[in-house]
Amino acid sequence: MAQRKKEDIVGRKKILLVDDAGTILMMEKMILAKGGYDLVTAKDGQEAVEKAEKERPDLILMDVMMPRMTGFEACVQLRQSETTRLTPIILVTTRGEEGNVEKGYQSGCTDYVTKPINGVELMSKVKTYLGE
Amino acid sequence: MSEEEKGGEGYVWKVQEETRRFAKDLLSENERLRSLVAGLQRENRDLEGAVSTVRAELDRRRREEDELKRQMAQIREENHSFSEKYLEVETHNSNLANLYVASYRLHATLDRREILSSIQEIIINLIGSEEFGIFELDPEEATLSLAGSMGIDTARYGRIPAGSGKIGETIRRGEIYLAEGKEGPSSTEETPLIACIPLKVEGRVTGVIAIFRLLQHKAGLEAVDREMFDLLATHAAMALYCAGLHTRMVAGVKGGV
Repeated sequence: MAQRKKEDIVGRKKILLVDDAGTILMMEKMILAKGGYDLVTAKDGQEAVEKAEKERPDLILMDVMMPRMTGFEACVQLRQSETTRLTPIILVTTRGEEGNVEKGYQSGCTDYVTKPINGVELMSKVKTYLGE
Repeated sequence: MSEEEKGGEGYVWKVQEETRRFAKDLLSENERLRSLVAGLQRENRDLEGAVSTVRAELDRRRREEDELKRQMAQIREENHSFSEKYLEVETHNSNLANLYVASYRLHATLDRREILSSIQEIIINLIGSEEFGIFELDPEEATLSLAGSMGIDTARYGRIPAGSGKIGETIRRGEIYLAEGKEGPSSTEETPLIACIPLKVEGRVTGVIAIFRLLQHKAGLEAVDREMFDLLATHAAMALYCAGLHTRMVAGVKGGV
């Protein structure tokens, strides 16, 4: 039983949540907890780049506007790293305008969701990029 | 009897014998064919029976197929209905999670700055606005002072009279004001106001949250936003009130010491 639990934990997909707002991190955790994922958090782009190297997540869900390093900048850095160059990155943006979305894709993001986050949409995109 | 006559009789006898044999052969062949026909008729009857069995089986299979098709259509319809219900439940869960997160964040601290920051995060991330102001009411001066904001002119809204326009109306009535559509109509505040939420402690208005514009991609206010406004009206006000009490209490304790 204990062995099986350990295997379950080992097999769990890991998601790195990046946002400087505690409210949105809590919200994302509540939405994604249902998927049984291993959730790791970071409070800005810089911390996200460091944690991604260390934790090797299966997916990164990252806000755009953050102190120290924005989501776009972090995205560029993550794409330059051998460890994270293929990791799916979903950007969370308050602006759905074309220009902003374009900038996100140029920085190397895989997809984006807009605030306020729709739980059903987020879960669906996460499952898609995790191949579930 | 002459030799010639004897030869003629022998020929006739021979012909008669041949004819008899031929007739016998014909009768025998006829009997064989009759028996063959009887066999074929039996076979035909058997085949007809088999065909009729196959037809009956085919009809039964067709009926089964029709029934399966009907059941498939019913299952598809049920699946569609289930997926709609699932989506409905998930949306409801997500809305409840929003309300839970908002409530949790508002009451997780007694630090006034953190509470104001949480209110701003709730408005940006859970409601979807980047142009709003959080005002506190000074009832003696009848003014509203800006405690937190985003995307608005802080110099203009730093301190405003509390009695005019939709904001004044919200304070007087103590009820949430909601404009129709994405952008509110021009009010006496000159800036369009989409929603104004009174912050109330025990029925007394202590301030307001004025939302001037929603995020560009947000089509309009939804039912969950109205629930969030109700939650903010009481919980945000109570959290700010408790933080104020806590600050005074701490200051009192320190002063006493």
